[in-house]
Amino acid sequence: MRFRIEQRTEPSASMRVAAPVVATVLTLLVGSAMFAVLGYDPLSTLQAFFIAPLNSMNGLSELLLKASPLILIGCGLAVGFRANVWNIGAEGQLIIGAIAACGVGLFYPDPESPLLLPLMVLAGACAGMLWAAIPAFLRARMNTNEILVTLMLTYIATLFLSWLVHGPWRDPAGFNYPQTALLPAAAMFEPFDYSYRLNPSIFITGVAVLVMWLFTDRSFLGYKMSVGGAAPLAARYAGFRESAAVWTGLLAGGAAAGIAGMAELSGPLGQLSPQISPGYGFAAIIVAFIGRLNAFGIVLGGLLMSLLFLGGETVQLTLGLSSSLTRVFQGILLFFLLAADFFIFYRIRLIPEHA
Amino acid sequence: MHNLNRRQFLQYSSAVGAAIGTGGFAGIANAQEVLKMGVVYVSPIAEIGWTKQHSLAVDAVKAELGDKVEITVIDNIFMPQDAERVFRELAASGNRLIFGTSFSHGTPLQKVAPRFPKVAFEHCSGIVHLPNLGTFEAKYYEGCYVAGAAGAHMSKTGKIGFIGGFPIPDIVGPANALLLGAQSVNPDITCNALFLNSWFDPGKEKEAANTLVSQGCDVICSMTDTATGVQVAGEKGAWSIGYASDMSKFGSGKQLTAFTLDWSSDYLRAAKGVLEGNWKPEVRWDGLAAGVVKMAPYNEAIPADVIAKLKQLEADIGSGKVHPYAGELKDQDGNVKVPAGAVLADADIRGMNWFVKGMIGKLS
Repeated sequence: MRFRIEQRTEPSASMRVAAPVVATVLTLLVGSAMFAVLGYDPLSTLQAFFIAPLNSMNGLSELLLKASPLILIGCGLAVGFRANVWNIGAEGQLIIGAIAACGVGLFYPDPESPLLLPLMVLAGACAGMLWAAIPAFLRARMNTNEILVTLMLTYIATLFLSWLVHGPWRDPAGFNYPQTALLPAAAMFEPFDYSYRLNPSIFITGVAVLVMWLFTDRSFLGYKMSVGGAAPLAARYAGFRESAAVWTGLLAGGAAAGIAGMAELSGPLGQLSPQISPGYGFAAIIVAFIGRLNAFGIVLGGLLMSLLFLGGETVQLTLGLSSSLTRVFQGILLFFLLAADFFIFYRIRLIPEHA
Repeated sequence: MHNLNRRQFLQYSSAVGAAIGTGGFAGIANAQEVLKMGVVYVSPIAEIGWTKQHSLAVDAVKAELGDKVEITVIDNIFMPQDAERVFRELAASGNRLIFGTSFSHGTPLQKVAPRFPKVAFEHCSGIVHLPNLGTFEAKYYEGCYVAGAAGAHMSKTGKIGFIGGFPIPDIVGPANALLLGAQSVNPDITCNALFLNSWFDPGKEKEAANTLVSQGCDVICSMTDTATGVQVAGEKGAWSIGYASDMSKFGSGKQLTAFTLDWSSDYLRAAKGVLEGNWKPEVRWDGLAAGVVKMAPYNEAIPADVIAKLKQLEADIGSGKVHPYAGELKDQDGNVKVPAGAVLADADIRGMNWFVKGMIGKLS
């Protein structure tokens, strides 16, 4: 008897539904076994991982606060990913967005102006788009690989930020430590309730999800981009321009990442320092794929990533589980989630030896 | 800029002074209860390094106070966004004493502390103080000065190499002290300095150490969170100086000494203070005298009379007889920064962003 992997003639609709369930069950089984072997009660560990972080208003607020940039960036990136435009430099676009927003916040002549916050959103979006326009131009005009260019520009953005906070933008009252002064109150999103950290920037993410859905599922350009991604030759034959897809894909990702950077700055951070993002730009790539490049899938993906992160802290706080173990567990879940997708497009057949 | 800094420093100090003067911290006097204490590490606990030294201090608290304390530790929290959530969570779940151990924990602590006025917060390497937020920091430069003197005694090329994580005052100051200590032995000695812009990047650090050795440096001191500098120096036959932990076992027998950090006294004082109900937000800044900075055992290759001199130097710095930043101090371009007979003011030490004469390298 042998096994053979076969491509399905059509993606399996039932596997599409079953894959995440299978992945979850496998994760719970393997995870429980791992916790049990290490001497932790599997049930209470899983409870601390997935339920405890959501038990309080503060937990919910933190979940959304952390999920918001992931979802926002994930939506922007997915627009490009659907057309095979691989922007993996959202981290850099986020940083540039935060820098531009901070520039407006610190140096706008009237620090109490109600216009400050909208201007910062605009600055963040434009700067993110500008940063993404570099790989877009190079790809559209010179067919330069956008994967490399976007990634390299992330390092440039990081070093530019480092130069600013070590040099010209350093807080004059901060003992020469590399960070800017705190932004004025009018440049900060006011939390819904000062007991929690969630702020109105979550609405921007909500709007982005809707726009992304309308664009990909309801607009002709979105349709053309999807065709270009699925069947480039057919798209070319139909007269769909590839450069339009490149520009749209990269600018959407850049704008989303730039706004996310602004929202981090005007939300939980309040100032720039040499490192401002816990890898949101990279994590959002995973989120986009967990969400299958679909707007509402990305919302679920972002919430899941956020929960995994908070859960990892909770098990460390309550059960003393090492942070390395929680990352192993997070890896197991993401692995099964993405691996289970294999069965949507392929099946394994059993072939009798004598046939 | 320096005047402004000094003014700021005085402001902070007087604010704390006022807080102490008005009766200190009366919120949390309850001797019966077990003290729940939370500690946030910036990285996982490794064999050596910054977080390891904090974990040793936590162990010291456990050893001395036993079941009077219940300690929750969470590691690998660097980003301010995450730190704020963790501090809030620790405070909300009944911890009455909470430690932040990284400069990046500062702004989050400043946001969380006012919301939990009955919780005592302690920030290692912090610069801002609040009625329930104290800070503690080590005088790295004292150990660095002694290590520099040791290096100068052993160097044949008259060139020292320094690798720093970031060009921040906490690193720039000690780099200067390293050279000043060396110049106290050999006035012509110089120091090549490189910065990695990372605390933990063994690849880049290895490259930096190789570069310094190829430039002729035969003593390497690395202020990062790895033992790579000590290791590469040992492999290349150069002397090395360890930081934070004793790294002799990584140095192929070539570690001259290390300026190690022992935060036990800071942790214990805060824990006892909260237990006894008399915790106050202090500005603690200690070095060799208080034992927060300690010199690791000197290499056996150093002649006994030199070791005796180095030990005397430790004692003299501890007693204040020798000040590492005593004038005359000139900057790289030869401008006098501290006139003869004076010493650099504390606020200027904590904000040091210039290299002394003889340093080779740039701060940006």
